[in-house]
Amino acid sequence: MRSAVDDAKTPEQSFWSNWSSWEEVHVQNSLGHDPFFVFPKDKLVEEGSNVTICYVSRSQPNNISCYLEGVRMQGEQLEPNVSVFNLNHVAFIRETGTNIYCKGDQGDSIKGIVLFVSKVLEEPKDFSCETQDLTTLNCTWDPRSDTGLLKQLSQSYTLFESFSGKKTLCKHKSWCSWEVAPESQEMYNFTLTAENYLRKRSVHLLFNLTHRVHPMAPFSVLFTDVSATNATMTWKVHTTGNYYTLLCQVELYGEGEVIQRNVSVEVDGKQLFGGLKPDTEYRAQVRCANANHFWKWSEWTRQNFTTAEAAPSEAPDVWRNVKSVQGHSVVTLFWKPLSKLQANGKILFYNIVIENLDRSSISKLLSIPAPANGTELNLDQCLYQIHVTANNSVGTSPASVIIVSGDPGNKEVEEERVKGMEDGFSLSWKPQPGNVTGYIVEWCDHPRGPLCDLQWKSVGPTTTSTVVSSDAFRPGVQYNFRIYGISTERVPYLLEKKTGYSQELAPSDNPQVVMSNLTSRSFTLSWKDYSIESQPSFIQGYHVYLKSKAGQCHSGSEKAVLSDDAVCCKYRIDNPKQKTFVVENLQPESFYEFLVTPYTSVGEGPHGAFTKVTTPDEYSPILIRIILPMVFCILLIMIICYLKSQWMKEKCYPDIPDPYKSSVLSLIKSKENPRLTIMSIKDCVPDSIEVLNKQEGTRKSLTETESSKATYLYLLPTEKSYSGPGPCICFENFTYNQAASDSASCGHVPVAPVAPLSQLGLLTSPENLLKALEKNYMNSLGEIPAGETNLNYVSQLASAMSGDKFILPTNPPEPALCSEYKMQMAIPLGLASPPSSGSSSLSSVTLLDEGEHYH
Amino acid sequence: MRAQLMRRTLPSLVLGLLFLSTPAMGSCLDKYQELLAQLQKQADIMQRTSLLLDPYIQSQGLDKDGLKEHCRERPGAFPSRDALQGLGRWEFLRTLDTTLGRVLHRLTALQRDIPKAQDLETLNRAKQNIRGFKNNIHCMAQLLPGSSETTEPTPTDPGTSPSPTPTSDTFQRRLEGCRFLHGYHRFMHSVGQVFREWGESPSRSRRHSPHQGLWKGTRRMQLSRKNKRLLPRGQLPR
Repeated sequence: MRSAVDDAKTPEQSFWSNWSSWEEVHVQNSLGHDPFFVFPKDKLVEEGSNVTICYVSRSQPNNISCYLEGVRMQGEQLEPNVSVFNLNHVAFIRETGTNIYCKGDQGDSIKGIVLFVSKVLEEPKDFSCETQDLTTLNCTWDPRSDTGLLKQLSQSYTLFESFSGKKTLCKHKSWCSWEVAPESQEMYNFTLTAENYLRKRSVHLLFNLTHRVHPMAPFSVLFTDVSATNATMTWKVHTTGNYYTLLCQVELYGEGEVIQRNVSVEVDGKQLFGGLKPDTEYRAQVRCANANHFWKWSEWTRQNFTTAEAAPSEAPDVWRNVKSVQGHSVVTLFWKPLSKLQANGKILFYNIVIENLDRSSISKLLSIPAPANGTELNLDQCLYQIHVTANNSVGTSPASVIIVSGDPGNKEVEEERVKGMEDGFSLSWKPQPGNVTGYIVEWCDHPRGPLCDLQWKSVGPTTTSTVVSSDAFRPGVQYNFRIYGISTERVPYLLEKKTGYSQELAPSDNPQVVMSNLTSRSFTLSWKDYSIESQPSFIQGYHVYLKSKAGQCHSGSEKAVLSDDAVCCKYRIDNPKQKTFVVENLQPESFYEFLVTPYTSVGEGPHGAFTKVTTPDEYSPILIRIILPMVFCILLIMIICYLKSQWMKEKCYPDIPDPYKSSVLSLIKSKENPRLTIMSIKDCVPDSIEVLNKQEGTRKSLTETESSKATYLYLLPTEKSYSGPGPCICFENFTYNQAASDSASCGHVPVAPVAPLSQLGLLTSPENLLKALEKNYMNSLGEIPAGETNLNYVSQLASAMSGDKFILPTNPPEPALCSEYKMQMAIPLGLASPPSSGSSSLSSVTLLDEGEHYH
Repeated sequence: MRAQLMRRTLPSLVLGLLFLSTPAMGSCLDKYQELLAQLQKQADIMQRTSLLLDPYIQSQGLDKDGLKEHCRERPGAFPSRDALQGLGRWEFLRTLDTTLGRVLHRLTALQRDIPKAQDLETLNRAKQNIRGFKNNIHCMAQLLPGSSETTEPTPTDPGTSPSPTPTSDTFQRRLEGCRFLHGYHRFMHSVGQVFREWGESPSRSRRHSPHQGLWKGTRRMQLSRKNKRLLPRGQLPR
């Protein structure tokens, strides 16, 4: 152990005492009851130092593990119960120190130390002193890192002035105040010392007090005599002595411009600003410094002011849109708001004077309140001169004059295409041979919108090109420009039309294609509704893609591979106005897919869904052309036949042949047999009546009428004997059959049994008649030889064999059968009534009078 | 960091609001149930280790494996839950008041080992909370039957002192501080449980006369010291 004097006044090379003598202590005796100890306790070192930690245990051998912040340390065993751990370049971890601890193998006992690692004390930086009032010096510095720890306070700072020999302990870490000596000491030599438990650091500063004057900021900044273009600025400064002159810097900001002035000031400052802009807010600021020995500018002192308004300096930019409506001119006037520099104040209203040039005595004044930027006028076809002025609270702007006539001046000129650029459209036009006072380019910012948002740009008479740009321009939108020349009479007239896209885009939609005229070899595509004007680029033509299984492309098309690697044939249509296309050379009964897409300079439309089509069979149309007329003819014939069937039947094959027309008759006549003649019916006496049994609901006799019932009633009083539905009885007369009589053979025909003539009278009585009928009818069912007949009459009874539908039921036990008198005679068509399904149970009976004959 | 700060400050703010109606403002709540509920809430908040223990462990660098295990309450440093449950209500409050008074002293001693202003602020807020809680304890003691006979609480020692002998060994002092805070939070947890038991058996307290309740509790405490295991847990002594 040794000692030395520690005092700030003592020079660095202090004297140390001699070392004390060594003392030997047995560590085991100082352990007490604890199983082990860790050393050194609470040691304070600087960052980067090398530290040795040791522990001493009571027992041998020991199983003690030591850790540095939870990380086990590898030590060196000096003795059986002493181990050391060398830590090199220890780092600062936290202000509360680094925990180093050891634990026994049981883990229940823990001993440790806290190693306080301090950051290295650094020299203060940027040490500087200055004064604002020559009475107090303010010294500042950058303290760098804080070396404060739990065991060590942060470094302290002391300020020592060597000329006066004064010293002060600074209360703050980064600045210190020093009272200037009243005897007006000019030179100062300061030593700033930073000190902590481990180290000292010092910096020095020598200066003249008058050279370190940092004036305080000016105050009472005011503006007087503020007009539209001039203002006077005044300010005051803090006194720093009777003989000091300050240099003040004045800056004026307004409308992006800066005006800077330097002013020498002793007490009060003053500065006149001219050439200011009317109705403009200016921001002024002023700062000062020692004019003799510049050290630092003071802080800025700022103040704002606004200049007064003035009359608008420029005429508003005016344009018009003229429409003729029912003999009148609807003139829409547009004007652009004046810029701030032109308006010189807030525009309150616009005055519009309309002067009729044809009748100069008539003029009209309109006042449109701001911020309107247009108005609509209804004028006649006369020539008008319109003056537009903008007005603010001070005055009126120069007038903008435009001539408007009933003729809009939109003569037909050819439209040219222009290519847009990134910054707009570059337009040029031919110079006009006559005198023009300028040109105007007109366009719509939103041509697709309901409001066109008319824009215009005015250029001088010598300019024949301009670049039109607008934030509203969008890619894929077609913009139309009109270039007008303004004559010396201030009448605008259309010169040229331009159209273009700021950026062309590939078509996003394909036309809606209609397919027609589909044949086995071709079909027609048309897209008449496709508008080429509303597309996002100029349509140059169309591509027709055709997919087929065959994959062969005929002339006029070329093979194309689509994005999905599908191969198809591509037809090219170079005329954008051609909106139909015939796809030919197809195979019958083949499947095709087609797509029509427009193409432009930036690409073609999307390869979306193809339309599917299958060509029909090649022969079907031919067959249809043949078969359809044939079917029609057949149908026509059938209809005619049907309509004329009765007539034809009558003519060609009547049911009862007319014996007078029979060829047999002619044969007989030719054989000179005068006795042979045609029997008249009136000469015949009926010998028998056949009763036919017919099922109810079957077709009635052709002669069945209401009146027939009365006739029947006469013969067959059914009022009493018959009640309700049941079998009915029909009578059929037997007409003379020439053929049958001639042949005298009725063997194949069931011949009605011939009743004796005497029996005929019995028929007048209904009972007798019925009995006779029953009897004869039963007989008639059997075959009756022809020779048994007494008369040469042949019954025309329909038989089952003959296929007649009025047949006797073959099943007698079945009920509900209807008997019918079958009349074998020809009936004119006009008398024939349709068969009635609801026929009465009793059919009518018609008795023909003798001699009555029907042809 | 901000979230951590919020975790620390939010409970303190809640506690502050709870204290607005406490005798710290000059008057006591005269409603037993309300005051009891307030004490329960305060105890619930003060048991949270995020208020004191966690910031302390972090600032002292004790959040390392091998060290955390030694940051456990020393047996006997604070009255155990059984001991607290074995106390009569009056004695319980007196013990609580005394113990928290010692905690305040110990927290003041801990301040010198906390260099960061932020951690110091946390510690000071915890001390304010304890003071408010102590005030509510006094209010509760006034509401207990027989409060007129009460005298100023005198130190009683149901457990051992929570303030061990200070050591100059920083590491050992650090560990002791950690153990102390751990014990403090555990103690407040037990206090909360006891207060909850008070709330669960309000009729029982009304059945007994103030004098009976006070002194029976005292006798039961003496009994419980002899045979703690005979007392069913979760029940107040009669």
